[in-house]
Amino acid sequence: MRARVLLVEDTPTEAEIAKAHLAAFGHECRHAATVAEALRLAAEWPCDAVLIDLQLPDGTGFELMRALRAARHAAVLIVITVNASLDTAVEAMRGGAFDFIAKPYSRARLRVTLDNALETRRLRAELEEARAQLGRGSFFGFVGASPAMRAVYRTIESVAASKASVFITGESGTGKELAADAIHRASPRARGPFVALNCAAIPKDLLESEIFGHVRGAFTGATESRAGAAKQADGGTLFLDEIGEMPMEMQVKLLRFLQLGTFTPVGGTRTERVDVRIIAATNRDIRAEVEAGRFREDLFYRLYVVPLEMPPLRERGEDALLLARHFLELFSREEGKDFRDFDEAAAAAIAADPWPGNVRQLQNVIRNVVVLHEGPLVTRAMLPARLFQPPPREAQAREAPPPAPGQVEPLAVVEKKAILAALEHTGQDVPRAAALLDVNPSTIYRKLAAWKKAG
Amino acid sequence: MSSLDPHISRQLREDLAPAVLRSVVQTFERDLGRLAQEMLAAARAGDASGYQRAAHSIAGAASAVGAVALEREARLAMDPAQPEPPHILLPRLMREAQAAIAALKQMLG
Repeated sequence: MRARVLLVEDTPTEAEIAKAHLAAFGHECRHAATVAEALRLAAEWPCDAVLIDLQLPDGTGFELMRALRAARHAAVLIVITVNASLDTAVEAMRGGAFDFIAKPYSRARLRVTLDNALETRRLRAELEEARAQLGRGSFFGFVGASPAMRAVYRTIESVAASKASVFITGESGTGKELAADAIHRASPRARGPFVALNCAAIPKDLLESEIFGHVRGAFTGATESRAGAAKQADGGTLFLDEIGEMPMEMQVKLLRFLQLGTFTPVGGTRTERVDVRIIAATNRDIRAEVEAGRFREDLFYRLYVVPLEMPPLRERGEDALLLARHFLELFSREEGKDFRDFDEAAAAAIAADPWPGNVRQLQNVIRNVVVLHEGPLVTRAMLPARLFQPPPREAQAREAPPPAPGQVEPLAVVEKKAILAALEHTGQDVPRAAALLDVNPSTIYRKLAAWKKAG
Repeated sequence: MSSLDPHISRQLREDLAPAVLRSVVQTFERDLGRLAQEMLAAARAGDASGYQRAAHSIAGAASAVGAVALEREARLAMDPAQPEPPHILLPRLMREAQAAIAALKQMLG
């Protein structure tokens, strides 16, 4: 393991020998001859270990250790001392040293001590990370400690190391893209790119070019060659969101790409090979889509290697309040407000709501509260009234009598009302609203654009 | 009696490449020159702590290269309780320093 080691030694002969050893171990080393110089270097050059001579011109190694600890420096400290008495050892350990080495020391002795210290530091960091994730109920950007989410975290950890395709399902706003990102970040491809593409948000005739790129002159407007998402994600992860919206002809091309690992940019003649892990997601019932003939079965089996179901917020118990507090803190900071918490009634309302738009809806509600009100407590009155109404009874809705002839409205008006109602119901979540209305999200985007244009 | 600890000499030869070892000996020689001057100046000025600090550094450097006789003299100089005044101890320390450097150069071949 290549590490960064700060050597604090005022005698040039000793420093030269230690530097030669550290270089032979493959470590990167910086050298300070005084306490002041060591503190300056430690502040500007984050290191993994500090080798400290106890007797320094401007102070002692113990003083340096105390200063490093006070500055919450994370490096592991090793004392090098001529006086290897029990008292010195005890004082060194009390001062926060991991170990001490008696002078003169051999290369082997330094190596063993340093390797042990670095390994202990690595394990400690891993432990702290794991504790932090469990304790705070968070994981790679997720907030939540419910059993449902812990199961999600476990699946993500299990699949991360593999190259297997992952198929994420779940209602809109449940964090499918966050899950895809977490898989990427926990995987050996973490240093590679993560490219997300929403298949529903891209017009059908542009989707192939978005995924596979195009060459110059491939179509009207293609004035330059452009790399697509597959190429951009080479060495990393390609996340295809709303894959259920992908047109049939594009599904064929995607299947071929998955089978061969190669593709041809639109208008091109040369095939290109990339190394990409695919993660797909949809809020639709993908099996029903396959049965209905709207999604290719062979593509489904190619993608559905590891399924990951994101739980809706209503099934995540106390996570709703945990998330609400997380968003309250985040948005308060962003908006320069002083919100601290929710009062009892507000907290109860948040915990009881079914949140049909899931985390995204909760996020929008909290953002709205923070922007429109002042802290320190979020009260029940600040929350949308909908949170205090009993949920609509579907049976009643279905049994509503048809409008009287005089109440009949033009189809365009009815359509607009239905779309706006669906958007309101889903917290302005277009893909989910589209799913409720059983239309393509692009239909809603087009309608919204047209209404905006018409004023 | 040799000026060098044979165990440490062997260890240095095993641990360090010849060019690195040569450079370490040169650094040691420079260190001794500078520190001996510091000890001398501190002794003349009656600066006991400066005298002991320089002696401590000589002891550290000597210990690192296995110059045991020099290290012993330096440790005597570091000790405020020892009875020998600088004008007696320093010449002896200088002689050991020269002997250590000569032995190290001989070791380099």
